[in-house]
Amino acid sequence: MSSNESNSNSKELLRMAGINKYFGKVHALEDIDFKINETENVGLVGDNGAGKSTLIKIISGYHRAEKGQIYFEGKKVRISSPKDSRALGIETVYQEQALAPDLSISRNIFMGREPATALGFLRKRVMDEESMDALKSMGLHLRSPNINISTLSGGERQGVAIARAFYFEAKLVILDEPTMALSVKEVREVFNFVNQLKRKGISVIFITHNLHQVFTISDRIVVLSHGKKLVDIKKKDTNVDELSEIIVRGTIG
Amino acid sequence: MKKSGLSLILDYNINTPIVFVAIVLFFIIFTPNHLFIDLRNLASMGKLIPDLGIVALGVGMLMICGEFDLSIASLIPLCSYVFATFLMKGTNPALALIILLPVGAALGFINGMIVVKTELPSFIITLSTMMFWRGVVFILSRMAPISISKYINPHPYFEKMLTGTIGRFPLQVIWFAGIAIILGVLLHFTKFGNWIFATGSSKGAARAMGINTNMVKTTCYIIIGVLCAVVGTLQTVRLGSFFATQGVGFELKTIAAAVVGGTSLRGGVGSMLNIFLGVLIIKFI
Repeated sequence: MSSNESNSNSKELLRMAGINKYFGKVHALEDIDFKINETENVGLVGDNGAGKSTLIKIISGYHRAEKGQIYFEGKKVRISSPKDSRALGIETVYQEQALAPDLSISRNIFMGREPATALGFLRKRVMDEESMDALKSMGLHLRSPNINISTLSGGERQGVAIARAFYFEAKLVILDEPTMALSVKEVREVFNFVNQLKRKGISVIFITHNLHQVFTISDRIVVLSHGKKLVDIKKKDTNVDELSEIIVRGTIG
Repeated sequence: MKKSGLSLILDYNINTPIVFVAIVLFFIIFTPNHLFIDLRNLASMGKLIPDLGIVALGVGMLMICGEFDLSIASLIPLCSYVFATFLMKGTNPALALIILLPVGAALGFINGMIVVKTELPSFIITLSTMMFWRGVVFILSRMAPISISKYINPHPYFEKMLTGTIGRFPLQVIWFAGIAIILGVLLHFTKFGNWIFATGSSKGAARAMGINTNMVKTTCYIIIGVLCAVVGTLQTVRLGSFFATQGVGFELKTIAAAVVGGTSLRGGVGSMLNIFLGVLIIKFI
């Protein structure tokens, strides 16, 4: 297994050690060690059923690992619900489930965390203005905070979801297949948003099937296969051909 | 970019108000002798419409949340029966109504809990609770009407407050409009209203953002239960009697009114003003 010496000048943000997860008799994750540093962008690659989403759901609090520890900013933490995860500063953007399509942009950005008066009335103007600011800082210029999500392109939707994570001061943003079913132009848009996050010092876990995309966007690449970690390597130490061969063979040469 | 409150409510569906105005004009112009705008006709419609309308407001809100409630067709006579029973025991009618509201809330809560715990389609669940409660009403009342006039008559103010008139203007209309305004404000201008839309539009997204969608749904069912208590009382006082067949047919008419008002059958889309107009359109036709 390749070493993953941490960059001497960047601090560790999240570390998972010896993670095991079973679904009935299926050993979904076997002794997974995973870490990500501050401002680092890690690409998480693997086939369907490799364990990518299980690993992500453990970080975001939807699943609990049977065995293993999680450390966040050097401290051991327990993540037993999505709320715990968000309280730590971890925002997960699921591909289909991130936004409510019938609601406006500002209502989506503040969904579940609406600024309101003591009586529960929405501060609509605050929502609208802050939403536009958050979108602008992502480089996304939309007409109005009141347009429905369903009228946006796939790339713009990802932008709104990422802007939301940024607005609520996430330290780690997990993007679950953000480029699935997007056109080439939209993929480039999403890459722009991800680069904005990096510029703002936010770590990103980028999940995808597409090796070429990880090579464009990520600093380090982790490959899962059948619930095991196959590869954990810095981008500069490898190339697409070598990596794809490893994945196809399913073992390390 | 700045939008006024009214256009905020209307901006995704201006069709309903247009249809409403068209239908009103049509009836005004084409009814023989202009009976439609005859004061007697308007007054009698004003007495009849709120029965269906008040429940439909709650049903519409629940549909925005992504669920259905058919059981209202039985909750109304059940509430009415409970109200009549209290009166027969000599309870003050105002007190009976105050007791009835939490009873309605409890009935709604039962619906809500079954729906969120079993995760079965609410259409089926509330169809079953509708049949169950109808059976209960039939058994308890033996299908016999209960006249309440003699219990209500000593309390003219109670009757005046609920079903009286100012000149010819029926007070039920005020109750209907008042409840529509309260629910409209709740739906469009509060945090909870945003949770209702979010739950109906994408339950997964709402949950991922920390919204307790089960609580949101159950609360909507509770609101409907309370509205059934109100309608049960209004109707009983207006008719002067409890009938076991009150509310029959309301289960689909309320849904029809909400849909005519532009509410989506799949949830996430709708507005209280349009549901209100939808009720009027359905009843006018």
